[in-house]
Amino acid sequence: MLSMIVLTVAGVLALFLGFTKTKSLILPVAMLGVLASAAAYYFYQSLWGEWLLGMMGTFGSPSVFVGLLLACTFVILPFLNVYKLRGGGELGDFTGIILFSVIGGMMMVSHQDLMILFLGIEILSIAMYILAGADRRVIQSNEAAIKYFIMGAFASAIFLFGVGLYYVSTGSFKIFDVKIIAPELYSISILVLFAGLAFKLALAPFHFWAPDVYQGAPTIFTAVMATLVKIAGFGALFQLFRYHAGFVSEWIYWMMILLALLSMLIGNIMAFSQTSVKRLLSYSGIVQAGFILIGFLHTRIENTWMVAYYLVAYVLASLASFFVIYFVENKKGSDDIGEFKGLYYQNPVLAVVFTIALVSFGGVPLTAGFMAKLFVLNHAAGFGSPALVLVSLVLAVASMYYYFKLINQFYTSDESGVKSWDISWGYKGMLIVLSVLTLFLGLYPYGIYPWIS
Amino acid sequence: MSPILLLILFSIFSGLLICVVDRKWAPHLSLATSVISLLYYLFLLIDFEPSGGAAHLFQANWIPGINASFSVALDAQNVLLLLLSFLVLPMGILASWSDTVQRNREYYALMSWGSAALTGFFASQNPFSFYLFFELALIPFYLIVLLYGGAYRRPAVFKFFLYTVFGSFLMLAAIIYLYAVVPDTDINWATAVAEKLGPDNQLWIFGALFIAFAIKSPLFPFHTWQADLYSEGDRPAVMVIAGVLSKMGVFGFIRFYDFVPSALESMRYVIIPLCIIGILYGALVAWRQTVMTRILAYSSLSHMGMIAAALFSGTMVGMQGSLYQMFTHGILAASLFFVVDAIIRRTENTSVYGSAGLAQANPRLSVYFFIIVLASIGLPLTSGFIGEFYMLWGLTQTNIWYGAFAGVSIILGAIYMLRFYQKSVFGEMQSDKVRNFGHLILAEDYVLVVVVILVLSFGFFPGTWMDLTHQAFAQLIQK
Repeated sequence: MLSMIVLTVAGVLALFLGFTKTKSLILPVAMLGVLASAAAYYFYQSLWGEWLLGMMGTFGSPSVFVGLLLACTFVILPFLNVYKLRGGGELGDFTGIILFSVIGGMMMVSHQDLMILFLGIEILSIAMYILAGADRRVIQSNEAAIKYFIMGAFASAIFLFGVGLYYVSTGSFKIFDVKIIAPELYSISILVLFAGLAFKLALAPFHFWAPDVYQGAPTIFTAVMATLVKIAGFGALFQLFRYHAGFVSEWIYWMMILLALLSMLIGNIMAFSQTSVKRLLSYSGIVQAGFILIGFLHTRIENTWMVAYYLVAYVLASLASFFVIYFVENKKGSDDIGEFKGLYYQNPVLAVVFTIALVSFGGVPLTAGFMAKLFVLNHAAGFGSPALVLVSLVLAVASMYYYFKLINQFYTSDESGVKSWDISWGYKGMLIVLSVLTLFLGLYPYGIYPWIS
Repeated sequence: MSPILLLILFSIFSGLLICVVDRKWAPHLSLATSVISLLYYLFLLIDFEPSGGAAHLFQANWIPGINASFSVALDAQNVLLLLLSFLVLPMGILASWSDTVQRNREYYALMSWGSAALTGFFASQNPFSFYLFFELALIPFYLIVLLYGGAYRRPAVFKFFLYTVFGSFLMLAAIIYLYAVVPDTDINWATAVAEKLGPDNQLWIFGALFIAFAIKSPLFPFHTWQADLYSEGDRPAVMVIAGVLSKMGVFGFIRFYDFVPSALESMRYVIIPLCIIGILYGALVAWRQTVMTRILAYSSLSHMGMIAAALFSGTMVGMQGSLYQMFTHGILAASLFFVVDAIIRRTENTSVYGSAGLAQANPRLSVYFFIIVLASIGLPLTSGFIGEFYMLWGLTQTNIWYGAFAGVSIILGAIYMLRFYQKSVFGEMQSDKVRNFGHLILAEDYVLVVVVILVLSFGFFPGTWMDLTHQAFAQLIQK
């Protein structure tokens, strides 16, 4: 709880610093706030093991996902600096909103009560609606915000319906110590709750909002959506299912497999012919979400590390690729696939960073993405479904097609005569760190095992 | 530290070093490091005992969660192929020698990393490290061809990449399954897996592995990426691809022999005829080609079919011949590409008719070329002969018709190779480029002399190496 208070204070401070002339303080304050919040979480955990009369808890998986959320925020915040260059009038607002959304995410992953989960979802989502519409003057950004808002509201309604069913069938909002009164209704309620979360996670067939929103939102905030929301959503789903894995009927898992396969299939098919790189990555995000979902079959607390590992791999690659897209878009004014032609000859660092991120998405060995896929597929083999393993592998190969189509572009020499350009060393260093981490985790996956288990 | 691991790390670090040295020194440094690796490896061979099992073993627990360990070692099966990869790499670097301007530091760094991956691949001792390096070896060569190949390289390399990745993911599925069936990976792991799988499941595993390896080799009918890649790729890299990477597939069959014995037994009568179709098909197509690199590509297809067929014959001599021929064909394919590269670079014409009259313009290259052509036909007293002879012997032991049909390829091989040689070397000199062909540069002379010595010495004295190949399969055959 203390960590959330610290984060709130930091967010409010950031908002107020935005009014003053000392705008250069905003990001350092926010980053310090994140660090302080992490420290508060890990050093006072025993004091605050259960918060709000047991509506939130830190036992087991939540601490892993909270750590991921804070680490991810810590990486994103420095990149907001690009808004300072553009006058900086909005920097304080954006920083504050992101910090508040993290609070929502923390509530989601550590919920022990569906009301908290709902509140968390709303806090996170409303922050995201605002961020999606952050570029007020751009029509696509407005479209993204409206679309995201309407779809999100719809998803929230479905989720609330699930909460209602859950209450009817168990007589409580608590997700542990379940006393099932109506078993069939209970299973349906879990399914509806799952569908509501699947909306937030952009799993097919609940994915229709994702490409438009990803494309329309300012790229930096697309990165936020692709990472923070996914971590929070999967963390919440994990928390929900780890308490209910023993009670839900087997067909829920088959629905899960269905959703995972649909996500991989639809994401792949749609990604094939995209010309906007942001759209392409949004479909690729749907494919990745499908893979992560395989890790949820027969959810057990011991499997936290597997899901968390996949999320780490996914987040590293997503952040790197969206930031690269931001810089290219900023330079050339569009995220069309043609703008990436000859990137290697213009800016080798960005090209190599993006290449590593994409091969990690594709699951080439020695990248974190490969290990992540290996772990979830190994899990699927253990679940006793060789067909699932085989189909997902074939779909993973299919995904290589568009990743490598993009990579091919970087190394095609470009005749348009764009001179080589550069970005400042700070950003370059951050991007290189993300790539190195991707490679390190691919080489030595147990490097982060103690942190995520 | 295990010398094998040392060799892998050495290649990786020399690649990193090449990235940072002055551009002018990158080729020299990469040549030096590849030669050092070769010499160090030869030094290791001096006291290598083939019957003693895996030597210089390095094993580390890598991913304890799924019992996957990283292990590399030198054993009787991989000794020749490691030698091959260490030999071909300096050849490739020397082939790029006259044209180092276009190729910058990244080129040589990628070559070094490719060599590291190949070393790791052949040295790997368990399916997991095997898979890792199988996939890794692809990336440097993919990038080299993508960055430095000919005009139509993009579709060619893309096809190559997708084919191979598709195969290797199937293989990954098979390997995951192997680890899931018997999680405890001790010494008798392979046998335990084979027992637990039973004949039916073995067929599935074998099918997945077969497609992966058949694409990589390539074997008929999975070969359609080959000719495009070989003719469009950067030729020094194609030397390594044709010489070493193409052996990875067949080598995979050797490595996974223990896991799927009964599937191999039952599928033998499907796969050998398939290979023989590939042998004849490759030879016939090579006969009618006019582009030099395409002739070599289809001749490679034919030879790889033969190597695979002999391996599946399951007889001791057939397998021995197949392993020996993998080495020989690697050297010969690489050196044929080397010669063709030397010709094309000067005449700027890829057609076989483009260099007519070479015999007068540069008799020296023509002689080297002739010796290599003879060896690849399988003339006695060259290294090609021993391998072909053993392979045909093995195939005939299995079924006399296999031997008869596969034997036709020797005749066809002579026809297309001699036609190739005749058209490209003799005849009326037509182009000024051939007239001004010039001398061989020192680098080319070195490589070709070494190749000729290798070809003849392996042809004259096959004894030691044949004993080695016997050791390689002694345990497999007993089981």
